[in-house]
Amino acid sequence: MSIIELDDVVKRYESGAETVEALKGVDFHSDRGEMVTIVGPSGSGKSTMLNMIGLLDSPTEGTVSLDGRNVTDLTEDERTEERRSKLGFVFQSFHLLPMLTAVENVELPSMWDTTVDRHDRAIDLLERVGLGDRLQHTPKQLSGGQQQRVAIARALINKPDILLADEPTGNLDQATGGTILEEMQRLKDEENIAVVSITHDQQLEQFSDRVVRLVDGVVRS
Amino acid sequence: MAWRNLGRNRVRTALAALGIVIGVMSIASLGMAGVAINQQATAQLGSIANEVTITPGEDNPDDGVTQEQLEEIEALVTDAAVVEQKTNSTDVSARGEDVRVSVTGVTEANELYTVSAGEAPSRLQSGALLSNSTAQELGLELGDPVEYDGQLYRIRGLLESENSFGPSGGGELVLPLSALSEQDHYDSVTIITADGDDTAAIADRIDAAFNSYGRTEDVQLSIFTSADIQSGISGFMNTLELALLGIGSISLVVASVAILNVMLMSTIERRGEIGVLRAVGIRRGEVLRMILTEAAFLGTLGGFVGALASFAIGFLMFGALTGDPTGVLAWPSARYLVYGFAFAVGASVLSGLYPAWKAANESPVDALRG
Repeated sequence: MSIIELDDVVKRYESGAETVEALKGVDFHSDRGEMVTIVGPSGSGKSTMLNMIGLLDSPTEGTVSLDGRNVTDLTEDERTEERRSKLGFVFQSFHLLPMLTAVENVELPSMWDTTVDRHDRAIDLLERVGLGDRLQHTPKQLSGGQQQRVAIARALINKPDILLADEPTGNLDQATGGTILEEMQRLKDEENIAVVSITHDQQLEQFSDRVVRLVDGVVRS
Repeated sequence: MAWRNLGRNRVRTALAALGIVIGVMSIASLGMAGVAINQQATAQLGSIANEVTITPGEDNPDDGVTQEQLEEIEALVTDAAVVEQKTNSTDVSARGEDVRVSVTGVTEANELYTVSAGEAPSRLQSGALLSNSTAQELGLELGDPVEYDGQLYRIRGLLESENSFGPSGGGELVLPLSALSEQDHYDSVTIITADGDDTAAIADRIDAAFNSYGRTEDVQLSIFTSADIQSGISGFMNTLELALLGIGSISLVVASVAILNVMLMSTIERRGEIGVLRAVGIRRGEVLRMILTEAAFLGTLGGFVGALASFAIGFLMFGALTGDPTGVLAWPSARYLVYGFAFAVGASVLSGLYPAWKAANESPVDALRG
């Protein structure tokens, strides 16, 4: 069974008098252990689709299912709980908090949760992405590739089912991007999670198990 | 976490905290200034606070307090000193200079007067006391004679001038009662109680005994206690204290606006970051709490420094006004430090509310878009 499923999802935005239809009935699914890449020109609705999959936004029409459960009409607070327990995010510009060290950044999603101590897992994850010797460095002291590794470790801290990546290699050079993708692929297998990325990057397609092409809010496989 | 967020923009944090410091300083210092002024005023009034002064009333047939009335008063007032006086005025002359002084005939001089030199006898039978200022004006010293009504009196003590605003307005000459023996009646009777609280009760007792003959109001004796003035003055002081506090609060309101601005700027600046927090599953309440904590830290920091500074100011102020710098530690003034601090933290959290609410409730999608 698919871990995430979009069924005929439509998303409309009201911008002034105009209504923009970003997604026009999209079907999508992904399974554990799979690396899917969504590609498409800018304005094709990739980001909107990632927001749907990442439960950051809810669709105008259609349904979203996470791990077999219909999560379409959850409230913002319920979606927050789902994101907290089942999803991990990696962003193009890393979005690490500048005043925290690498290990603190990784712990961040669970920092407010007093019931779990994720410190050991944070160290473990950083060691697994090759940053075992950079635990106490702040983002400023790390290179772009290292920062993105910290971000990946952060996305995995809560043992998610799905890792969502928004242009994960967008701010990195070709070689660094390649190693980051290898890293993601390895972790995907180790953790048995689904990885869904959106990108312009041709390189990312090569690492993917499957590529979904989105044009004008419609999937063209 | 909140602490480190503040540490990111130290200058801005310091400026916002400075606003709070100034706010707390003004509210606490002005409050303490009110207390110090009040204490100083009370201290100066204190010397007459325990006095009841009795003078002949408008319906008094003898235009004076008679010997019988005096004895009656003494019978009524058992627990306080009753000091009867006769007054007049005269010119004191020495070395060809004349100075007009009021003359008081009294026996228990020590009850009414304090001297800066010489002595104020408890039974003044001979000799005289002269106010210091008059003595200096005329070049008179202890032991020099002054003349009144054809008799010479040797100066035994020099009166401290302006020790209270009792009878010692201008220059004063204090003589034994016998010197004014041609006056039949006493011009005033002063009752000095051990405790200022008794004055009102004694005044009431005398009033009841002398001033209600039959049904008509018959004012034989006019009774005056300084408690009347004092309650008026302390009422005024309380108003003054409130007014000072009000001025202080304005500056704290200004400081709150500064905090509001700082918190708003810093949350707008960190929009993307807060979006990330929300995306990775940080709850809205947790974001709210984080920003409120930042505001509370600002308030605590500013409040603490402000309270310390106010303490120093209060120390100096009390030293200057009441001569006792440790008075700042007493609760009436120390409480303003506590109020100022509490107000600072409260105002900071209050002005952090809106930015925190705004940041927490923004959709993560919008926030991430930057």
